[in-house]
Amino acid sequence: MSVNADSTFFQWVIFIFQAYWPLFLRGAEVTLIISLTGTIIGFCIGVLIGVIRTIPIDHNTNIVTKILYKIVNFLLLCYIEIFRGTPMIVQAMVVFYGVAMIYGIHLSTLFAGIFIVSINTGAYMAEIVRGGILSIDNGQFEAAHSIGMTHFQTMLNIILPQAIRNILPATSNEFVINIKDTSVLNVIGVTELFFMSKSAAGNNFRYFEVFLITCLIYFVMTFTVTRILRYFEVKLDGPSVYTIHGSQTVPEAQFKIVDRGKR
Amino acid sequence: MGKIIEISHLQKSFGKNPVLKDINFSVSKGEVVCIIGSSGSGKSTLLRCINLLEFPTDGEIFYHGQNILEQKMTTAVYRAKMGMVFQQFNLFNNLNVLQNCMVGQVKVLKRSKAAARQTALEYLELVGMSSFIDAKPNQISGGQKQRVAIARALSMEPEALLFDEPTSALDPEMVGEVLKVMKNLARSGLTMLVVTHEMAFARDVSHRVVFMDDGVIVEDDTPEVIFNNPRNERTRVFLKRILDE
Repeated sequence: MSVNADSTFFQWVIFIFQAYWPLFLRGAEVTLIISLTGTIIGFCIGVLIGVIRTIPIDHNTNIVTKILYKIVNFLLLCYIEIFRGTPMIVQAMVVFYGVAMIYGIHLSTLFAGIFIVSINTGAYMAEIVRGGILSIDNGQFEAAHSIGMTHFQTMLNIILPQAIRNILPATSNEFVINIKDTSVLNVIGVTELFFMSKSAAGNNFRYFEVFLITCLIYFVMTFTVTRILRYFEVKLDGPSVYTIHGSQTVPEAQFKIVDRGKR
Repeated sequence: MGKIIEISHLQKSFGKNPVLKDINFSVSKGEVVCIIGSSGSGKSTLLRCINLLEFPTDGEIFYHGQNILEQKMTTAVYRAKMGMVFQQFNLFNNLNVLQNCMVGQVKVLKRSKAAARQTALEYLELVGMSSFIDAKPNQISGGQKQRVAIARALSMEPEALLFDEPTSALDPEMVGEVLKVMKNLARSGLTMLVVTHEMAFARDVSHRVVFMDDGVIVEDDTPEVIFNNPRNERTRVFLKRILDE
């Protein structure tokens, strides 16, 4: 299909899609790789920091541990505040050109992109995870402690499974934000979807048509991701029915009970 | 009989507010001790101090003659030997009934999954909850939850079981099923320390009753003496008020 100045809007859209779909596809791929990896690494950073920042300080802690804890806590707080308090587009410039200037290393743009999205997401997730942990009833901690679990056993087996379930909606929010915000990485030349669209648009001087397609691709990606994560949420809630097992006296008594008041 | 827990000159303040003032008492093996008293008298705080959920301000707690407030013994190791049943049940919401009774055995006592499952099933059978092993805590009633909580504590095979007002959060019709389980446990020779408002339970089941008022132990005697001829005026006033209701 060929187009000229008299072609209609739809002819242009179809033409651009046909001519540039491999470009869009590659851009979408890079966007997904960066945002998915960045969200997962950021999530892990967040969980780690969240657990560290909720370590209880009590009578058993000796003075050295207390001081060490204070220092670590202060550094983590600096990290969170700095990365939450500055725009990602600026962080990208500072990290990418800073590393090049100070260490003389030229990061690959993909690596730089993943790195920046990860530490940025980590700063947000740290506070989200901390909130998730604080939202769990104190009785859960006490019960775990009363059967002799340590802080880390309590976190791993009891608190985090509940906290992570509670913060899944916030996490899927972060993921969606990351898919959209990787577009700012075009300033350091990451070949994600926005960067690719810009070159396709520039080649033809057709900005509206190109970015309408881009818009659609972004939406399909974010919508798919939210649906998938919603599916996980439901899955994590477990079955809404349970089986009553037969007692010794009535072994055949096995029937299902429907959940009362399913949330 | 060997003393499991011995408490001497225990004190606890929250800020400037003293809740426990100079508590002295002990629990021997196989004893069932009920702690009674009005709200705010420090009963629950005493129990929580014994399990180190609250750290005492002053005084000593001996476990088989060893002072647990010095750091020789890890808190976690000691707590595993003191089972605790809470007013609000505190079942682990992310685990089903069976897993609730297994997780401590596997993670703390390092038992194999098969052995833990076996033990858990035994105690769930004992409290009459073995049919509900697949249910999640939010799918069962309060009385059932408390019975599972008792099975969870028993699965750790503790030396003593501490009950912190185990029936206070239950509907009246569910109190009976929990008390029945506790009565059977008391008869089986388990060492129990029970903070309760159930006077009939204290009178009929316990070997000793401790009456607390305003952060001190006012009277510590057999249930016959406490309920029939209390020596102290404060005990008499409290019991009259409670039993007249």
